[in-house]
Amino acid sequence: MTALVRSELLKIRTTRGWWAYLSLIVGITGIAVAGEVGTASDEERSAADFLVDLVEIVSVSSFVALILGITIVTSEFRHGTSTPTFLAAPHRELVIVAKALAATVVAIGFVVLSLLIVAAVALPWLAIVDATTSLGDGELATRAASHALAIVLSALIGIAIGTAVHSQVAALVGTLVWIFVVENLLWGLFALLGVDSAVQYLPFRALDATDGSGGELMLAQGLGIAVSLGWILLIGAAGIWRTRRRDIT
Amino acid sequence: MIEVEGLSKRYGKTQAVAGLSFRVEPGTITGFLGPNGAGKSTTLRAVLGLVHPDTGSATVLGVPYRELDRPLHRVGAVLEASEVHPGRSGRNHLRVQAAAAGLPASRVSEVLALVELSAAAKRRVKGYSLGMRQRLGLATALLGDPEVLVLDEPANGLDPAGIRWLRDLLRSLAAEGRTILVSSHVLSEVAQTADRVVIIHRGTLIQQATIAEVLAGARGATRVRTPDAVRLRELLAAQGVVVSEAGDGALAVDVTPERVGELAAANGVVLHELTAERATLEEVFLELTGGETTQ
Repeated sequence: MTALVRSELLKIRTTRGWWAYLSLIVGITGIAVAGEVGTASDEERSAADFLVDLVEIVSVSSFVALILGITIVTSEFRHGTSTPTFLAAPHRELVIVAKALAATVVAIGFVVLSLLIVAAVALPWLAIVDATTSLGDGELATRAASHALAIVLSALIGIAIGTAVHSQVAALVGTLVWIFVVENLLWGLFALLGVDSAVQYLPFRALDATDGSGGELMLAQGLGIAVSLGWILLIGAAGIWRTRRRDIT
Repeated sequence: MIEVEGLSKRYGKTQAVAGLSFRVEPGTITGFLGPNGAGKSTTLRAVLGLVHPDTGSATVLGVPYRELDRPLHRVGAVLEASEVHPGRSGRNHLRVQAAAAGLPASRVSEVLALVELSAAAKRRVKGYSLGMRQRLGLATALLGDPEVLVLDEPANGLDPAGIRWLRDLLRSLAAEGRTILVSSHVLSEVAQTADRVVIIHRGTLIQQATIAEVLAGARGATRVRTPDAVRLRELLAAQGVVVSEAGDGALAVDVTPERVGELAAANGVVLHELTAERATLEEVFLELTGGETTQ
């Protein structure tokens, strides 16, 4: 398994997509931090929870992690590299598990990178404007860890979707349509039926709850994690079934 | 070594392979021949556990591919030359496979040198010619120093010098005691290297034999020229021999020259030409596979 995970990590690092992901994270995080620090008043900058608020910006990586998860699997089918991959590891479910582990490692890397960008932009800036910075009482670490978990789950649901759908375009477009259209339509439908709270259990609504930032009609963090894992396992099991049966031609 | 038993596979309305059985003996180079669309690739992919047969089985080294421990160390395969991520360099493609097989990076440099691709190793595969991709495929297959090699149309895209290089490489690999199954739709590509051939057509076995046996079994023809063609035709027809025009006023006869000569002598017919025409391997191949060539 270690060999397969190493191979998967190497696959991720040896295409141009990798640099696109990294630039996206550095760019979006950098702009978001600069915007937040730049528009804040002196008072807000010195507030005890200002840094904790800045850490919330890390969540921009969750979308990148989702795309990465989907792409890690579907690019094998798109470019026909599934042939050498399954020749090296004919037990196809092991390949999927290795991809999930590699995606977890990379997702955590994304979070670390995001945090570094937040720190690199915010800390010198706040020092220059003489704001009082406080690292809080462990809340900062808790928030960062929550976001890390949410981003890992995003990557994993991406892997699950990729193994179930295989076609890169269908998986990416389908996921976007599902997130921005279908879940909203279902929300409307649930409201009509008077079962609004059911919307909390939809896959990406539940995933939103996993970073614990809360919101209206949002599961509690713990339950959100459990429901998200449920969806990942359900879609992933369907994906493994499909991938095992597929003829690699 | 490689054993295919009653293999059938249907894709939608197309019966790609229909009850195919054959064996590849250890330590031999076996040519796997058939026109395009005969079911060669499907069969090879079934042997490698990539395609699930509808019925029948395929084993390699005595077990289904899936049950091989460390498969890249036992079996090397080159299927389509396009199965590489275009954005990855040749070296990185090999590093990915080497990592999956638990092989050291030094092995990557070794196989790159072996297929003479070291100079282009850092370039992205997108810019490779078909011949370079074939070499990369061979390098991938050789990574684990496997005892069995399965190659699907490895000569596609190679120039004449490349085909010669491939032939020499396959010979030296076989001389090391490896078992090689190499497919082609052009018989001459494998005729000079293969010990045995398995010929298939429309998913079924046509012949499984040595090249000498294939030639020996071919229908020989005799070419005969005589000023007294009408008489000779009558004599041959009376013996139940099939005679046809061969152009230039010559006749083509499907019996040996000896029989034609004896018959002519016994009846005082003058002969101007009497030639045994051996069918070439290529002609035999075309005859066996119904003369269908798409390329």
